[in-house]
Amino acid sequence: MTALLDVQALCKYYTHKSIWRRQRKVTALAPVSFTLERGETLAIMGETSSGKSTLAKLIAGAENPSSGQLFLNGQPLQRGNFRQRCQHIRMVFQDSDASLNPQLTIGQQLAEPLLFNTDMNTEQRREAIAQVLKKVGLLPEHASFYPHMLATGQQQRVSIARAVMLDPQIIVADEALAALDPSVRSQIINLLMDLQKDMGISYIFVSHSPEIVKHVADKILILHRGKMIEFGATQTLFEQPQQQYTKLLLQVPAAANN
Amino acid sequence: MNMLDIRNLTIEMDTSNGPVKILDKVNLQVGEGEIHTLVGESGSGKSLLAKAILGFINPRWRVTADRLWWNNRDLLNMDAALRRQITGRDMAMIFQNPNSYLDPNSTVGEQLREAIPKGDLRGTFIRKMVDKRTRVVRLLHRVGVKDHDQVIDSYPFELSVGVAQKVSIAMAIAHRPKLLIADEPTTAMEPSTRQQIYRLLTRLSITQGMSMLMITQDVASVMPDSDNVTLLYCGQLMEAGNKQAVFDQPQHPYTEAMLRMSLRDTDAVEPKTHLPTLPGAIPTLQHLPIGCRLGPRCPNAQKDCVMVPKVTRLKQQSYHCHHPLAPNKRRKSAS
Repeated sequence: MTALLDVQALCKYYTHKSIWRRQRKVTALAPVSFTLERGETLAIMGETSSGKSTLAKLIAGAENPSSGQLFLNGQPLQRGNFRQRCQHIRMVFQDSDASLNPQLTIGQQLAEPLLFNTDMNTEQRREAIAQVLKKVGLLPEHASFYPHMLATGQQQRVSIARAVMLDPQIIVADEALAALDPSVRSQIINLLMDLQKDMGISYIFVSHSPEIVKHVADKILILHRGKMIEFGATQTLFEQPQQQYTKLLLQVPAAANN
Repeated sequence: MNMLDIRNLTIEMDTSNGPVKILDKVNLQVGEGEIHTLVGESGSGKSLLAKAILGFINPRWRVTADRLWWNNRDLLNMDAALRRQITGRDMAMIFQNPNSYLDPNSTVGEQLREAIPKGDLRGTFIRKMVDKRTRVVRLLHRVGVKDHDQVIDSYPFELSVGVAQKVSIAMAIAHRPKLLIADEPTTAMEPSTRQQIYRLLTRLSITQGMSMLMITQDVASVMPDSDNVTLLYCGQLMEAGNKQAVFDQPQHPYTEAMLRMSLRDTDAVEPKTHLPTLPGAIPTLQHLPIGCRLGPRCPNAQKDCVMVPKVTRLKQQSYHCHHPLAPNKRRKSAS
C-alpha cells in the first residue's frame, strides 16, 4: 500500500543577487525524504531558520520546490496545480487574526473554498458551512460575524474550519498553537485530535514546544540548518535521541521549573 | 528593599457602557536584583501593568494607585519630564514582537550604535567609532548572536524572530538599566535559545543587580530562576508569592488549572488524550463578569463569588478566592 504522502528529495534554495559580490546560493532546505501515513501526526521541529516553515510551505504548495517531488497516494503533485492540491492539503497559520480577511464575514470566507472547488449551490454551501462550524465548536450563527468580533481562540477555530472545509487528507499547521493562551490552546488541541479521530486527517505540525509535540505527534522530524538530522517515532526520539542536537531540542524546559 | 512598590493600582476606562476597570487593585513589589514573573492570559492586563510602570498609558484612562513608587520616589505625582528622565535612565523594556518595533529602514548595526549611551565613549572621533563597533559586537555576543558581521549588516526583516529578539535585548541592556521589563520575550523561541536567554537574563540580574519583571502568558515559560510570581486574570490578582510555594501548593483554582494546562508534567498525561482545560473563553472588556472575574469558568465557583474576594495571606503567598482548594487536593497536586 502506498503511503498517504511521500516526499522525495524535496529541496529549496534561494539565490541572492548582488552587484558587488558574486551570486550567493543559500540553501533553505537540503533534500528531505520521508513518508506520512493516513491519520498520523508528524511534527517538524528545529531551531529558528532551520527550514521548518519552508518545508511546511513546500508541502502546502505555497512555495515551489527547487527540486524534488511530492506524491499523494502515489500520485505526483504538480507544482502550480492548486486545484488538485488544495482539496487534499490545507494549511493553518500561526496568526489567525492576520490569516482571516477582515472585510469578509466568517460565512463568506468559509464559502470561498467551496466556490472555487465544488459545484454546490448557495443553499448547499450554507448547509456545509453550518455543519463545519458546529464541528469546530462554534455556532452556525457565527457565519454572519466578522473576524474582529471573535476572540483569538474562536478565530483559530474558524481557520481550522476553513482548513477542514473540503475534507482534506492533510492539514499543515505552521505554529498554529504558539500564539494561543494556555486554556484556549488545550481546547484547540482537543479539537484537532477529535477531528483527527472523526475524519482520519493527517497533521503536519511545525512546532517548537516539546510538551505539545510529545502529546500529539506520532513521528518527529528534526531539521538542523536545512538538513534532516533525525526522523522517527515520538517515543524513540524522546527516550533515545541519536543526536545531541535532538536531545537539546526535546528537553522539556519545565523540568527545570520544579 | 523594594525598588518597585505598587499598591492597589487601578486603571479605569470609559466605555459606552460606563467605566470599566481594566486593572482592579493590583499589588506588585519587586526588590533589588529580584526576578519577578507576571503570568496572565491575553486580556489579563499584564502588558498594561508594565506600561503603567513606564508611564506610557493612554491619557484618557484614569490611573489611580495608593502607591506607585520607584526607589522611594512617587512616580504617579511627579513632573512628567522628571518621570521620563527617571524611567529612561533606570528602566528598559523588551516587547513581544521584535520585528514590529525595530526600525525597518536602518540596519541592525545602526540601531545598536544608537542605543549605546554617549557618555560611555571617550577619545577622538575615530576612537569613538572603533569603540562603538566593539561595544556593538560585544553586546551581540552577550545575547548569543555568533555571526555578528552578518547580523550588523542586515535589516530587521532579514532576521528570524529569535535573532531579532536577541538584538532587541541587546539594545535594552545597552545602557545598563536597573529594571528590565520583558513582555513575553521568549514566546517565539525554541527551548534551547530560550534557555540561553534565561541564563543571560539571570546572569545580568546577579552581576549588575538588575531587577526584572518578566511577563509570560504561560506557567511553563516562567523563568526557572525567578523568585516570585504573580498570576493575573482579567485585571484581577489571583495568586501571588514565592514561586516555589505557589507552584508546589497552589491555593487558587486558577493557579492549579494553569499548572495542569501547562503540560509541565508530561508523563502524567497519556499522549493523544484530552487535555485538562477551563471551559469557555476569556471574557472581553465589554462583558466582564462582576465579582471574581474567573467566576463563570471556575470549577469551584459558588454563589458568593459575585463579590470580589478579599486577600488571604499565607506565609509565602497570598490569594484572592472565596473557595480555595481543599487541603487534600492541594497535597495531591504538590506530590
